[in-house]
Amino acid sequence: MPKVQAAALTILGTGVRGGPQAAHTGLLPSPAKASNCHTMEDAYGAPVEVFTLAQAYYMGKQYRRALMLLKRSELVDADVRFRYLAARCLAECHDWEECLAMLGGWENEEADNMDMQQDVQTDFDIGQEVSIYAAMCLVRGRAYDALENRTRAIRWYRAALRADPYCYEAFQVLVDNHMLTSEEEAEMRLQQKFPEENSWLELLYRAKCKKYDQQDTIAATLEELERPALPSTSDEAEGPSDAPQAGHGGPKFPATPASRPQEMPAESRMSVDGRRTRSMRSLATPSGPVGNGLASAEGGGADVVMRGPADDAEEAALGPGCGLANNLDVLVCRAEWYYHLGAFRECYQLTSSVLESDPYAMEAFPVHLAAALELRKKNELFLRSHRLVEEYPDRALSWYAVGCYYLCTQQYENARRYFGKATSLDASFAPAWVGFGHAFAFQDESDQAMASYRTATRLFPGLHLPLVGMGMEYQRMNNLHLADLLFLQAHKICPTDPLVCNELGVLAYRNRHYDQAERWLQRALDRVPGRLSAVWEPTIVNLAHTYRKQRRWAEAMEAYEKALGLNPGQPGTYAALGYTYHLQGNSSAAIEHYHKALGLRPEDTFTAEMLTVALQEGCMREDNF
Amino acid sequence: MDPVAPASTAAQKRAELRRAVVDLRARGLYSSAKWAAEQLAGLPEAEGKPPPRTRRSRSDIATADEEDDLHVLAKSAFDVKDYRRAAHVLRDCTFGRSFFLRCYAAYLAGEKRKEEERVETSGPLGCGNACNKDLDVLEAELCAACQGGNPDSFIAYLYGLVLADRERKSEARALLLASISGYPCHWGAWQALQQLCVDCDVQAGLSLPRHWMREFFLVSLCLESQQNEEGLGRLQTLEQQFPRSDWVVAQAATAQYNLRNFDEAQDLFEVLLERDPHRIEGMDTYSNILYVKEQFAALSHLAHRTAVTDKFCPETCCIIGNYYSLKGQHEKAVLYFRRALKLNRHYLSAWTLMGHEYVEMKNPPAAIDAYRRAVDLNPRDYRAWYGLGQTYELLHMPYYALYYFRRATQLRPHDARMWCAMGQCYENEQLAMYEKAIRCYRRAEQNVDREGIALHKLAKLHDALGQRTEAAYYFEQNLGRIDAERIQGSDTLDALAFLASYKKDMGQLQEAEVYCLRLLDYGAPSKEKAKALLREIRSMQQHAGFSSPSARSMSPDSPSTSPV
Repeated sequence: MPKVQAAALTILGTGVRGGPQAAHTGLLPSPAKASNCHTMEDAYGAPVEVFTLAQAYYMGKQYRRALMLLKRSELVDADVRFRYLAARCLAECHDWEECLAMLGGWENEEADNMDMQQDVQTDFDIGQEVSIYAAMCLVRGRAYDALENRTRAIRWYRAALRADPYCYEAFQVLVDNHMLTSEEEAEMRLQQKFPEENSWLELLYRAKCKKYDQQDTIAATLEELERPALPSTSDEAEGPSDAPQAGHGGPKFPATPASRPQEMPAESRMSVDGRRTRSMRSLATPSGPVGNGLASAEGGGADVVMRGPADDAEEAALGPGCGLANNLDVLVCRAEWYYHLGAFRECYQLTSSVLESDPYAMEAFPVHLAAALELRKKNELFLRSHRLVEEYPDRALSWYAVGCYYLCTQQYENARRYFGKATSLDASFAPAWVGFGHAFAFQDESDQAMASYRTATRLFPGLHLPLVGMGMEYQRMNNLHLADLLFLQAHKICPTDPLVCNELGVLAYRNRHYDQAERWLQRALDRVPGRLSAVWEPTIVNLAHTYRKQRRWAEAMEAYEKALGLNPGQPGTYAALGYTYHLQGNSSAAIEHYHKALGLRPEDTFTAEMLTVALQEGCMREDNF
Repeated sequence: MDPVAPASTAAQKRAELRRAVVDLRARGLYSSAKWAAEQLAGLPEAEGKPPPRTRRSRSDIATADEEDDLHVLAKSAFDVKDYRRAAHVLRDCTFGRSFFLRCYAAYLAGEKRKEEERVETSGPLGCGNACNKDLDVLEAELCAACQGGNPDSFIAYLYGLVLADRERKSEARALLLASISGYPCHWGAWQALQQLCVDCDVQAGLSLPRHWMREFFLVSLCLESQQNEEGLGRLQTLEQQFPRSDWVVAQAATAQYNLRNFDEAQDLFEVLLERDPHRIEGMDTYSNILYVKEQFAALSHLAHRTAVTDKFCPETCCIIGNYYSLKGQHEKAVLYFRRALKLNRHYLSAWTLMGHEYVEMKNPPAAIDAYRRAVDLNPRDYRAWYGLGQTYELLHMPYYALYYFRRATQLRPHDARMWCAMGQCYENEQLAMYEKAIRCYRRAEQNVDREGIALHKLAKLHDALGQRTEAAYYFEQNLGRIDAERIQGSDTLDALAFLASYKKDMGQLQEAEVYCLRLLDYGAPSKEKAKALLREIRSMQQHAGFSSPSARSMSPDSPSTSPV
């Protein structure tokens, strides 16, 4: 609440020169009464007073009243600040059409050539003051968002961000709701210009964006953010430990423009949670002749050598960093990066330590839950979700956590129910949608899974996972053509995701385009960030199947053995390896591997039959005496 | 003794083993420590008093322990099998023996959990596919620790174990070799290496350190790969160096048992029991010998004796199982083998013996399962392969049976029983590969076929194929064997009947007559046949008497002469 007041005050302060800023700085929590008495005498008092009163109404959630006051003052058309406040009131009333009308009739105009911009930004210096233009753009974006006009909403959010790089809310909406593809995000970042002294913000934005296409740079970005700052600059970056949101810090940056009355919970943060889980599932159904068993739930890749924040002290020699090692946002970015690398254990450790110091750090939850799910930390999920539901029963995140727990314990009915609850509480919470889809998909309920994936696609145009999920469902229904279309679409959104490449490879394999399959799978493996872990074992097996189909026995066997090294004890891999030996004519090795496979999975009729064939062949051929 | 191994005196060995016992115990490697202590006691008696250095070294140990109280705490937790706690206490240690203890504790904790999970999912004897969840973390950590080259020997050992679990065998072998080179007195590392050396070509490619421990390893390897004579030779040299080592005696006994020299083996086991009346290790093999020799009383005595020592020891259960089996109480026997396996799921011979019991109980699926578990544990167990073959033969699946018999013959190429079994498979009407069957039986015959199945079979097969000369040869051989061993049976009958008619056809009427006369001693059908033959011979003799002596009698063995 105080933030909003401060913001409004600043706006006021800039507009009215020499206004009674000082008088208002010490506004009490309930200023409505005092102001009210003051203006009762003169309904059309000084603009400053009117504005203050309107603001007070706004604070007191009397939106219509504030609106009436503003409209009656006739200053709405004259002063942009009045218009802005009126628009916010309308937005609060969910009167979106009106709100847009209030903001001005530029529906058809391009956001770029705005004469308003000059109008408002006469003496606006980036970073010094809150840009009211950006604030208005943001409200427009939100209005269009509410009207489900996604393209326009995105355009306005971007306009807001372009006008004022500090407009963190616009950034947050764009990134957290996956509105942009990673390309577009990169483009957006390029357009932003930050003053020299606040370069840390640029880094932070970069770290928060989709990480797929910045695999090479993200580590450096995070390191720079974490490296301790020089003493002289440390106050500039503001004591990071007491800045709850990096975007709100800095003495030169008093407040985020147009902070929302209720703090937007950070729960809509990108969490790729379902992604991996889903990926395991999907990868576990390769179309090879020998089905691949479920990949182990255990994320490997614990050996990714990553620097923890503590190690960075020695790096100080490299030059001043931003000193944000303890900042929550940076920590969460770091955790997300670990997650992305498949280093679930490190990720989990990091988020656990974050949650230890701040048990309700909402930003850290989605990635924490996702990592816990990967590591099958059933107990942890149980406790966390219980606490969350107790504390915040009205948040999507809490129910999402419950859903994760049930997903972990393979109680898909319940998982479905709670993910559904989470989505109905907050439709813009992407992880819940993806989890919802997965919970259906786990039970082979393709239609419902598709429905929820489709909704997610509509809501989060920058998120490729729902597309992948839909593709997998189509693939399961043997609608290979549609599956191909969807995977290609997903690939376009996120060209660096190895999972998509794997799926495309599997599809090519099923269509018997083995060269193509090989290329895709190879590409998938090339794109796995960090070291190969057990998560990607199915891809290696798929590649091995492809080699086998191409009669490249040696390569196939090598790949199978590599897969077994990553995830031993998979009957399917043993059977396939035996089959390869068999095809090659080495029936004794084939028999041995068939036996291993059958020992692990006695009900495998294909292997049993092949074993009989191999035994017969072996006894015809072999002469060892 | 290997000429390249640098000779080391008993005193040196003593010092080395003493240090090893302390080192191994500090790291919680108890069975290796026990083994080292056993060899230490097996060294010849030291001349004079023990060197005064011992005392100082003990004080060294005391100070070393003081340096790290955490290590002591962790070690105590480890000793009472609180592995997770031990690992947690040492969570920040990244070097030295504390690091090893931490990783080893984590490994054991994971193994323990794995076993529990397996039992949860598939029962105490199920073959569930649980995996050690701590391996990932351990692998990463150990990999990092070993990256700087020249890792600590114990760390290398543990990393080797982890990689072996991960089926990265060649890497694991390299690490274990490194570990052994750095610290030769760690018997556990040699054993782990041995498990990774199933293939003969791998064994040949090993570059073992030139240390006296190598001899022990080679003995163990020889016995495992059924090169028992070589093993015995090596054991003799070892015995000179370690005259009082029970281990050496036990290995010698096992080698003799493998060679089916049951009497020698029994003697050795008795020596062993005399030295150490509470010994249980290896006594299951002794009980096998008593079983084969059907010595009820001795077996019963052994079973009681071990039961008093430790009733819930897998070996004890196995011995009791053998006892019940000998008494024909197969259900009870199975019960005890199962108990043994519950106590130790990796107890190879219990699986095999349980398979045998199930065969006796006419339960082939259960038998197959048991045998297969045995070969999964150790693919060198020829008994289990042979048992598998037999069981599949019972199930009329000759292709399967053949494969398993072949595995058995590969492991024991000088065991006639395996070759006979294989020959029998080739004879099966589904395969009907008589040529191969003949070759199998020939191999059996070359390898001293005690039961004499091969000769008879060879004769019959040749007869069936119309190769009467060969058939006659083998029948004669078999008859000679039967006569030498003074045994009776249908084989004799067949041989006599064939030879009588063959000789008659060849015109060797006198010999034919002899066989016919012998044939008369037997039961009714053959008697009639013999009488008929005799009549025929008589008439032929008469005929020959009237006509001029034919060329037949001049060259009786010539195969070109066709009868009638």
